Amino acid sequence: MKILTAALSAAALLAAAGCGGGSGSGASSSGPIDLRMTIWSANAKHLALFDQIAAGYKKDHPEIGKITFESIPFDSYTTTLTTQIGGGNVPDLAWIFESNAPDFVSSGALEPIDKDPDLVPSTTTNWEKDGKLYAYPFSTSPLGVFVNTDLVKAAGRPAPAQQIASGTWTWDEAAKTAAAVQAKTGKGGLVVGDFDYKGWDTLNAIWSGWGARPWSKDGKSCQFDQPQMVDAMTFVHKLIFTGKGMPGPGITKDFFAGDSSMVLTQISRAALLEKAKFHWDLVPLPKGPAGAYSVVGQAGIGVFKRGKHADAAKQFLTYFSNAQNSAKLAEFFPPPRKSELNAATLAKANPLLKPAQLDSVVVKGIENGTIKPSHTGYAELQQTVRAALDPLWKPDADVKTVLSGVCSKINPLLAK
Amino acid sequence: MTLLLEKPARSDSPAARAPYWTMRRRDTLAGWLMVAPQLAGIVTFVLVPLGLVVWYSVHEWNVLAGTFEFVGGDNYQALANDQQLGPVLRATGLFSVGLVVLNLSLALFLAVLLNQKLRGTVVFRTLFFSPVVVTLVAWTIVWGFLLQDNGGVNAFLHVFGINGPNWLRSGGAAMVSVIVVQLFKNVGLNMVLFLAALQGVPAELYEAARIDGASAWARFRRVTVPLISPTILLTMILTIVGSLQVFAQIAVLTQGGPGTSTTVLVYYLYQQAFQFHHFGYGATLSLVLFLIVLVLTVVQWQMRKRWVFHEN
Amino acid sequence: MRLRLLIYGLLLVCCVPFVFPIWWMATTSLKPVSEIFAFPPSLLPASPTLDAYRQVFALQPFGRQYVNSLYIALVVTIGTLAVSSLAGYAFARVRFRGSGAVFLIVLTGLLVPNEVTIIPLYKMFDAFGLVDTHWPLILIPMLGAPSVLATFIMRQFFITLPSELEEAGRVDGLGRFGLFWRVCLPLARPAIGAVAIFTFLHSWNLYLEPIVFLSSKQKFTIPQALTQYVDAYGGPMWNTQLAAATLSALPVLIIFILAQRQFVEGLAQTGLKG
Repeated sequence: MKILTAALSAAALLAAAGCGGGSGSGASSSGPIDLRMTIWSANAKHLALFDQIAAGYKKDHPEIGKITFESIPFDSYTTTLTTQIGGGNVPDLAWIFESNAPDFVSSGALEPIDKDPDLVPSTTTNWEKDGKLYAYPFSTSPLGVFVNTDLVKAAGRPAPAQQIASGTWTWDEAAKTAAAVQAKTGKGGLVVGDFDYKGWDTLNAIWSGWGARPWSKDGKSCQFDQPQMVDAMTFVHKLIFTGKGMPGPGITKDFFAGDSSMVLTQISRAALLEKAKFHWDLVPLPKGPAGAYSVVGQAGIGVFKRGKHADAAKQFLTYFSNAQNSAKLAEFFPPPRKSELNAATLAKANPLLKPAQLDSVVVKGIENGTIKPSHTGYAELQQTVRAALDPLWKPDADVKTVLSGVCSKINPLLAK
Repeated sequence: MTLLLEKPARSDSPAARAPYWTMRRRDTLAGWLMVAPQLAGIVTFVLVPLGLVVWYSVHEWNVLAGTFEFVGGDNYQALANDQQLGPVLRATGLFSVGLVVLNLSLALFLAVLLNQKLRGTVVFRTLFFSPVVVTLVAWTIVWGFLLQDNGGVNAFLHVFGINGPNWLRSGGAAMVSVIVVQLFKNVGLNMVLFLAALQGVPAELYEAARIDGASAWARFRRVTVPLISPTILLTMILTIVGSLQVFAQIAVLTQGGPGTSTTVLVYYLYQQAFQFHHFGYGATLSLVLFLIVLVLTVVQWQMRKRWVFHEN
Repeated sequence: MRLRLLIYGLLLVCCVPFVFPIWWMATTSLKPVSEIFAFPPSLLPASPTLDAYRQVFALQPFGRQYVNSLYIALVVTIGTLAVSSLAGYAFARVRFRGSGAVFLIVLTGLLVPNEVTIIPLYKMFDAFGLVDTHWPLILIPMLGAPSVLATFIMRQFFITLPSELEEAGRVDGLGRFGLFWRVCLPLARPAIGAVAIFTFLHSWNLYLEPIVFLSSKQKFTIPQALTQYVDAYGGPMWNTQLAAATLSALPVLIIFILAQRQFVEGLAQTGLKG
């Protein structure tokens, strides 16, 4: 017990000393400056690359001590990050999901950062307020459809690439292919990545083809009950329960293990196909009733005002995201820079994808893509919609009623 | 704290001589010293934080902006208007009642089976107890797979021609699933406690009852249950308190869904505080949870006098 | 005879939900992903592979995390035993002024679930610079709410000891601490066993606290690490997760099966029966 008490008070002293030393942020204090960036990737290759970039930075910056990349599990990422901030353990830099962007940007928690003119305008809008940029959109990953061409062939359906060539790659056709694969091979048809009947916002990649939105552009009113959304969701419902083209709730069909014919997901997942035992292709999203469209997933890196070394963190972010490092990061995260957003640069970073695939899905996708819905108080909206949408995932659900129900639940939240 | 413990040893010899140190005084000192670590721990890690929770409940704390503002009774007003609270309390009650009833009856049933002096019961006892030592998260993850629509449970039921429900995706079934996962994880513990209690029931009492012509059921009800009632009370308190703290299972299996059918109070307050960042409201919900536990415990303690056979 | 068969039959049927998940976990961790979701599920892997196990150690410092969980649980267990046996003895056998009030205060620990106080506790530990260390996971269970159950069990046990024992000790000139240490504690072995098991398992299973307090992988505990087996984009890695789950469960399970007699009987012989 004595040792313990001693340890406690020693630690307290140390902590107090540490705070005193670090509070003069940016000032050239005596000790080295340690930086910490929270990330949600736990991938060893990603971490190796980040460490390499950090090592390069430290060479020219002797004042920097350690730069740590702290992986927090994907599922509980924002929750854990906020808990750390709430407890006063504020990281210097953090990855931020697109959907939480309004919360972080509008709260004033982040430092404004320099806006490089090389950045594609559509990639930064989500991270701006009053003309200032609050996070660097380091990953802008378009959604595409990976196709298991072996399964499509086995089902006797034309390959999506052929349909694109003949201009018939539409959602109706995709649904037919999905249903045919299920019926003929018993494997899954189309899987929406990360949806799992909980992440309803991933369906954004489908309903955008109908021109539907979850709420109005100003974020004030619910649009789940609008005709476009009702049509889009009716399509999804039929795909699941009538055509059986999408694995039902509680059924897992893993595309990357060869268990389904198509998956709608971010192109960066191509890495999972390295050892695939089937033939595959990557194609853009099918055309919806509202025409051709594309959807982009985004993530930003922000610098916290209340971090101990905000200025040093900002400088490091500038280095981390400069053109040279951005090209390296492109191996995993499609870059937001005009100068690098071409099939040639991307092909070097993504050896698994063909230049044509990259051009059609990535380059065009980032330029014209809409991003996932976002809103302040997103976590609560996410949960509320998830709960209100659950009745939809039954064979006899009445789409219109369920969607009106969603609106009555979230309108009070949107009005806040 | 070792310092504190050494004190009486030093004061022991003068105490023997000095009349001031009566046995009563010495006991008081010793008693206080012995409970000091526990008392200090409870004050530091329970009472002070609890006071802070009350403090937070009259504030709105915006974590991201770093502001902490007094809002008076706003959070309590929100509590009164929260339409979600009713379903959440209902789910909490369903889970706790379901778990306690199933757990105690299954534990007692298994204990009675194992108490029939048969060969090989040790093997069965080991098997029933083994989930207790499996990591809770590992156990829950595994059941998550088994309860999939195309998972092991439904495949098993299929063998008997039963079409199982989509366990984790339909309201009632999801609640049953969460209860069952928790049940099989921990029932072994209560079973062992019951088994020990059963072995403590004197055989003569059964003989006497048999001679009086009591049926097996009557012997169980009139002899066994009263004699093991202290164990029943204890396992009941433990199980109820445990059931109100269920978190990992909900977080891993259902995340409170489908709809809000498995959103129990702890999960709801975790959501409000840590996911939605309404720390003030989360704190208010913590107080509700605290009150519920308080009332339940007081009620059980009162009931103890009525039906527990003997208290030492 | 017929009754005996019936009992064996019942016991066998009852075994299924206890044993099958563990069996399934262990065998499925040897299956390639494509086989995991085959319907109906197979009982044995058709083409067993140890890939998943390699991944477990490649993706995270799993061995280190195992040691973390183990040593935290051991320290908590020993510390809790010290705190709770002293307090339990005092509440049961020492008549001292204020003991009733103190007991009530301590009992509030039973009434306050961890989730209630996690936010203020986080702030407190952060003020001492102890976030992302193992201290909160050690101190809170050892001294805070979870130790109250231990104290309660110890008290229930000490109450049952006949008072003649202590009187004999007193005649031999033992003081309070002598009575506790020499006379009562040696008799409390079953209760100590029960408290040790409860405490160890509680610490071993802790989930919310690690995810709130710890953020570096090197410091993670096992339950926390289990939910970390996702690919770079948060997609689950099923077989790896199951392999890690198996690794987390099997050694403890084997130790338990080898030592189950002491384990279960120690638990059973406590003062819990009142």
